[in-house]
Amino acid sequence: MSDSKEFIELLNQNQNIVHKVCNLYMDNAADREDLFQEITLQAWNGFKNFRRESKFSTWLYRVALNTAISYFRKEKNKPSLQLTTELPEQADEQINQDKMNAMYKAIASLGKIDKALIMLYLEDYNYDEIGNMLGITANNVAVKINRLKTKLKELTKKLYEFS
Amino acid sequence: MELDELKIFFKEKFDVQQPSKSVEEISLLLGKKAQSVVSKLKRSLLIELIACILLTLACIAIAAFSVYTELRIYFSIFAVLCFLFLPLLWFLLKKTEKLSNTTLPVKSNLESLVKILREYIKRYFQITMAMIPISLILVIFLGYNVNSNLEKNLFTSATTNQLIFFVAWTIAFTIILYYFTKWYLKKLYGNYLNELQELIKELEE
Repeated sequence: MSDSKEFIELLNQNQNIVHKVCNLYMDNAADREDLFQEITLQAWNGFKNFRRESKFSTWLYRVALNTAISYFRKEKNKPSLQLTTELPEQADEQINQDKMNAMYKAIASLGKIDKALIMLYLEDYNYDEIGNMLGITANNVAVKINRLKTKLKELTKKLYEFS
Repeated sequence: MELDELKIFFKEKFDVQQPSKSVEEISLLLGKKAQSVVSKLKRSLLIELIACILLTLACIAIAAFSVYTELRIYFSIFAVLCFLFLPLLWFLLKKTEKLSNTTLPVKSNLESLVKILREYIKRYFQITMAMIPISLILVIFLGYNVNSNLEKNLFTSATTNQLIFFVAWTIAFTIILYYFTKWYLKKLYGNYLNELQELIKELEE
């Protein structure tokens, strides 16, 4: 199988990872499309050096986060609140819609690094794996996640009460 | 809602909510042009490298075939200078290519990006500043000697007023270009560099 065919097949199977990162970092459909394209191109560029020591999905996560974090837009400082209007549409009935909205709003207002931490945490990566992807120690990840949990709890509460 | 509650929801629901792209759409994306800063930097370095090679060849040709001694001297010097820039541009291009083809952890990736951008800005600034005195002195010196003996030069035959004017003009031009280049580089990469440094700081906290 040629490299490009193999890459396209693997990306096709794991494209939900790229979509998740795009949804988290971009606040409108056009920007998400641009970021999806950029991540695809960066992944393709790096694919020949992908040594298969790790799973493709883990490698793709790293590429996607690297691209999203270093992606530069002039209007970048606007918090990506659009995310909140899209995801809860299919929210489980048992989960409170307003609380869910507040949580997504809180996540959308975080900085780029915090978003990456939350995403990897929600994806169930352990602290060592998160540390490896971000280039920091597992202890540092643990401290940051704990801080983030507290921050998000407070933010969610505020946003929920406000709504 | 706690983050851990969201984690359960995320695992159960998020995957099925994603819009998906077909294999054909993904194949089409591979033929498009990347827009990241590294890709743009890579393209601009490649263009500069090609331009530098062409300029070197053009300078060599003029230096070899021009009937005017002044032009031969001027373009010989610039051929040497352009030739000296080639390895530098090649080195920066290879470094940038390596970064775009390697998948480093986020922090190392940001640090490498900062390092390359700083190197590029530094070299760009140094080259621009070095070209000012060389170009000015050559143009004035050689221009002054058109149709005259090359051994006679501006500094031995010009009046004091002419020399003062020349020195003042050179200083003013250098100062303007110094600030303009600084402003231009800051406008191009300054904000981005600051943002990258903030992200590294955030990771280190």
